[in-house]
Amino acid sequence: MVDASVAKRLVQAIIDNLPEPVPGKRPVHTIGIGVKGEFVASDVARTYCIAEHFKGQPVPVSVRFSNGLGGLEQHDGWSDVRGMATRFHLPDGRGTDLIATTLGEFFVRNVEDFFEFADVAKLEKYERRAWWRKLGDLLQLKVPPRNPYPNETVSVDAGALRYANRHRFAQLGIFQVSLIGAPVSYARASYHAVHTFWVTGSDGARRPVRFSWQPVAGVRNTDPKAVPRDKYLFEELKNRLRRWPARFMLMMTIGEAGDALDDPTKPWPGTRIRVVMGTLTLIKVAEDQEADGERISFNPCRLVPGIEVSADPILEARLGAYEVSREMRGGCPFRWR
Amino acid sequence: MFDLADLQGNILRGYTKKPHVRYLILEVADPIAARRWLAASVSGRSDGVPQITTGNWGANRPDTCFNIGLTYEGLRALGTPSASLEMFPNEFVEGMTARAWKLGDVGPSAPENWPAPFNEPKRIHLIATIYAENVEQLDEIQERALTDGRALRLLAIREGCSFPDDVVHFGYRDNITQPRFEGVHDPERYPDKQPRAPLGTVLLGHPTNLEGLKWRVPLPAALGHNGTFNAFRVLEQDVAGFEKYLDRAASDLLEHPQVEELLPHGAEEKIGKGLSRRAALREIVAANLCGRWRDGTPLALSADAPDPKADLTDFDYVGESRCPYGAHIRRCNPRGGQIVQRVANNSRRLVRRGVPYGPAYDPAKPGDRDEPKRGLLGNFIGASLGAQFEAMSCDWLNLGLQDPRITGSNDPIAGANDAGTSWFDLPLKSGGSIRLRGLPQFVRTRGGAYTFLPSLSAIRFLGSPTI
Amino acid sequence: MPGDEGLLDRVVDWLPKTLVFKRVASWTLVPLWARLTPVKPLPGGPHLSFQHGDNVQCMMNLIMPLKVKSPIGRAEAALAIAQNKDAIFAGLNNVGTVHFARFVIVGDNICMFSVYDGDFTNYIRDFIATIGSVFNAVVELVEGGDDVIPCEENVEAFIQWVHERDLYQVPDTATDFLRDQEALNGEGAVSGNDDLTLLPRKLVLQLRANANVSLGSGYRAYPGFSVAQVRKQLGLGW
Ligand code: HEM
Ligand code: HEM
Repeated sequence: MVDASVAKRLVQAIIDNLPEPVPGKRPVHTIGIGVKGEFVASDVARTYCIAEHFKGQPVPVSVRFSNGLGGLEQHDGWSDVRGMATRFHLPDGRGTDLIATTLGEFFVRNVEDFFEFADVAKLEKYERRAWWRKLGDLLQLKVPPRNPYPNETVSVDAGALRYANRHRFAQLGIFQVSLIGAPVSYARASYHAVHTFWVTGSDGARRPVRFSWQPVAGVRNTDPKAVPRDKYLFEELKNRLRRWPARFMLMMTIGEAGDALDDPTKPWPGTRIRVVMGTLTLIKVAEDQEADGERISFNPCRLVPGIEVSADPILEARLGAYEVSREMRGGCPFRWR
Repeated sequence: MFDLADLQGNILRGYTKKPHVRYLILEVADPIAARRWLAASVSGRSDGVPQITTGNWGANRPDTCFNIGLTYEGLRALGTPSASLEMFPNEFVEGMTARAWKLGDVGPSAPENWPAPFNEPKRIHLIATIYAENVEQLDEIQERALTDGRALRLLAIREGCSFPDDVVHFGYRDNITQPRFEGVHDPERYPDKQPRAPLGTVLLGHPTNLEGLKWRVPLPAALGHNGTFNAFRVLEQDVAGFEKYLDRAASDLLEHPQVEELLPHGAEEKIGKGLSRRAALREIVAANLCGRWRDGTPLALSADAPDPKADLTDFDYVGESRCPYGAHIRRCNPRGGQIVQRVANNSRRLVRRGVPYGPAYDPAKPGDRDEPKRGLLGNFIGASLGAQFEAMSCDWLNLGLQDPRITGSNDPIAGANDAGTSWFDLPLKSGGSIRLRGLPQFVRTRGGAYTFLPSLSAIRFLGSPTI
Repeated sequence: MPGDEGLLDRVVDWLPKTLVFKRVASWTLVPLWARLTPVKPLPGGPHLSFQHGDNVQCMMNLIMPLKVKSPIGRAEAALAIAQNKDAIFAGLNNVGTVHFARFVIVGDNICMFSVYDGDFTNYIRDFIATIGSVFNAVVELVEGGDDVIPCEENVEAFIQWVHERDLYQVPDTATDFLRDQEALNGEGAVSGNDDLTLLPRKLVLQLRANANVSLGSGYRAYPGFSVAQVRKQLGLGW
């Protein structure tokens, strides 16, 4: 079971790596925005998963989009992971969450890895690489590390790279983070729930699956060569939703025997069966951002009958860590299950 | 056309009356001595190195039979000229361990987990097989085979002994179906509806099942002609797990709304004397997984109950057959039934020579931790490993490509199943089916090797002082 | 201040984007590094996998240089295909495992791109059995083809020949490309002192050794289903 002390240590490790404390706020994904919408399951969804929100009737939804970095500074234009946490409000008053990010695979396999990573990948001074060293990179046919953004003085990039060079399992996640970029809109990125879950279909069959949100408007990043802007994502979303709802397709990939079920660092190949589970329509930015953006609290293990967690140790650890973090920041408790 | 005396004896017919089988897994110690050993094995002398049993037994069945197969590494170690070596097919050159992913040797069956001597495949050069009526004979032949310690080094032994009536672990009767060959008179074989297999199915240098296609015969002709290939497999069987699965499936079926269609009330007695409903359902599941009732009755001829009067092999899957599409024997040989790869009907046939190893499972003492190891020492013989054994393994057993109704499921008996995702459809008379899930992996590969079964001329060729 | 953006710094940032730098680097740095850190070409065809989804809708990408590099050679190739339309359809229907197959002439190459189910050798072998004559007609026009025709009598060599011409499929995930190279060099799962920043160079050098590659193993709209499953579901028979 979840060890409360581990959960606390996980959150503490995150807090310890913040440039400055953010009392009353999330220690990561600190900057975010709450949105209201509706989810409608596809006609086949229920055959694969009997959970309430896949039955076909429209389900109200709360979404929180976020920038991955912890801390109060907002740098929308920086290359960074983005989050999309979704709460499906079920008819009987219960809820279920799906937490996803723009990163397809995580960079650690379990809690021990996580602590080691937190140890190695600390915020370090981040400086522009000297020209002769960049020239040296070019002569070695390497790509020099990016220049710091304006006002960027510290970063975990160097530590993360050291960690990846030490551990092959971490390479995909960390390599992808280094190229992830900044979306032009929260509604123009794909978000992946990373872990494997088990769903039960109407015929009783259980299947290992992974979920992804795919934007109907398409994926689009900002021009990495342009000077990044710090604040545009919230405004963009408000304007967008004032004109037109934004939609996402929920895709579910079915794993096979031999696929990594309990390891969030391992991708599943594109050759797995992929099912359309439904469409999410975002209608408006929530009026009460304090309630729907800040106090609302998600947990990747808040599930309903029809969906179960896998034995992924990271998923299991998140159950407790998100609770601890919620309590620390006075987040809204939510009735479990 | 060809001379039975030029073939090794266990290819065209099996030594069915010799229950004891021992495999000597050997390494060439010294090429010259080993070549001398080979020459001696076909010298016709009755002392010293045991004589290779040929396809022409003559009037008297020999008391013991002795045969050999050579791996690619073995051919190399003997000093076979590289011009000849290069003509052997890729899969044989690479060896069984390199083909693991085609054979389903993954996870617990992966070659990395094989015990000695199979963990060092490059040292396995020659596999000699002794068939005998008792263990003393096995010992005697083994001793004669190994007298000259300079020739061959014994790496390991694998030994099996058949059970009465050709029963194998899991309780099925085996050794029923074999291909019957054009131009070969084999009165012992059961008749079946399949066209007789061309000789090239099992011997190099003869026409194959695929019209106009010829497999490459390694030269000189004395070496390649009339040779064939064998996939030797050590297949460990989890009998306790198998019986437990039948229990579970029967329990699930008892609750199933359509169980009446599978087993009408009162029909239990037909399945077996004094069987409970649950026990009868177990037998139904077992029969469907294999395609035969445990006594050998094919479901294609008698789907509702075993029938001792039913013919064992005289059937086909043309039209409506009640044998499940996914049953082991239908997957391995879809006969003339509808399959996706029309051109492959009847083309991927194998000669099978197998013997169980380990003690029979005793259901009265169901498996605790110390269940002894048991399984099948299997030989799958054909002129092209790629076109027959591997083609059958990867596309038909593992992938189920031959029929869209089973594609994506693995062989229920021999397949590398994962209980989380496996399934098997039990057909119902009405045309519907009940899907069984949760089949674990019952069979794990614990070793094996691809060998070349040389003709007698080839043994003489390889045995000459200078090749 | 070290973090300052000087002129040289800006030049170095700008340099790799210029055509001149790329050309000069291609002529000098690439061969130099290829000598210092040699790279073996990775083998073609789908990645070896036991899993079901990876064994349906596999890709074959053949690029075969024509012997006669002129409009005449290209026309011969075009004719060889056109004359065998019936044979190709009959083969397609009877082998039953091919989703799509296309012949394309690019430069002086005849290319064959197909999407098939199951094991590669079975696919080619079954096709040799049904449309060997078409293979012969095409391969006859291709450099090095004479050694393996008639394919019916050179089954093993022919399959091998095709396999050797099947393009390497760069994995969809960048780091799997590193794993491919490690596997080819027989380096096990050990790690501890990798240098992830070498990925770009490794890719450049592999593309030098393997000039034609397939990027990824293809993007599929309905992955995981065989030809026959699709045909059955659509009510077309199989
Ligand atoms: C051991 C691994 C992880 C730890 C310790 C961790 C920890 C945390 C914590 C403490 C929070 C703040 C929760 C709150 O106060 O409500 C958070 C938020 C978040 N995490 Fe993680 N996390 C982990 C892995 C992941 C993974 C694998 C994903 C990818 C799906 C992810 C995506 C997110 C997102 C999107 C948020 C923001 C949720 C929101 O908007 O409320 N995290 N994480
Ligand atoms: C321990 C594992 C296995 C067991 C217990 C087993 C059991 C059986 C049984 C009981 C039969 C029916 C008897 C008969 O028709 O002669 C059979 C038939 C057959 N098996 Fe297996 N088998 C195993 C592994 C394999 C493997 C690995 C292959 C092939 C790669 C294979 C190929 C065949 C073939 C070709 C037939 C004949 C089907 C026919 O022609 O109708 N078996 N097996």
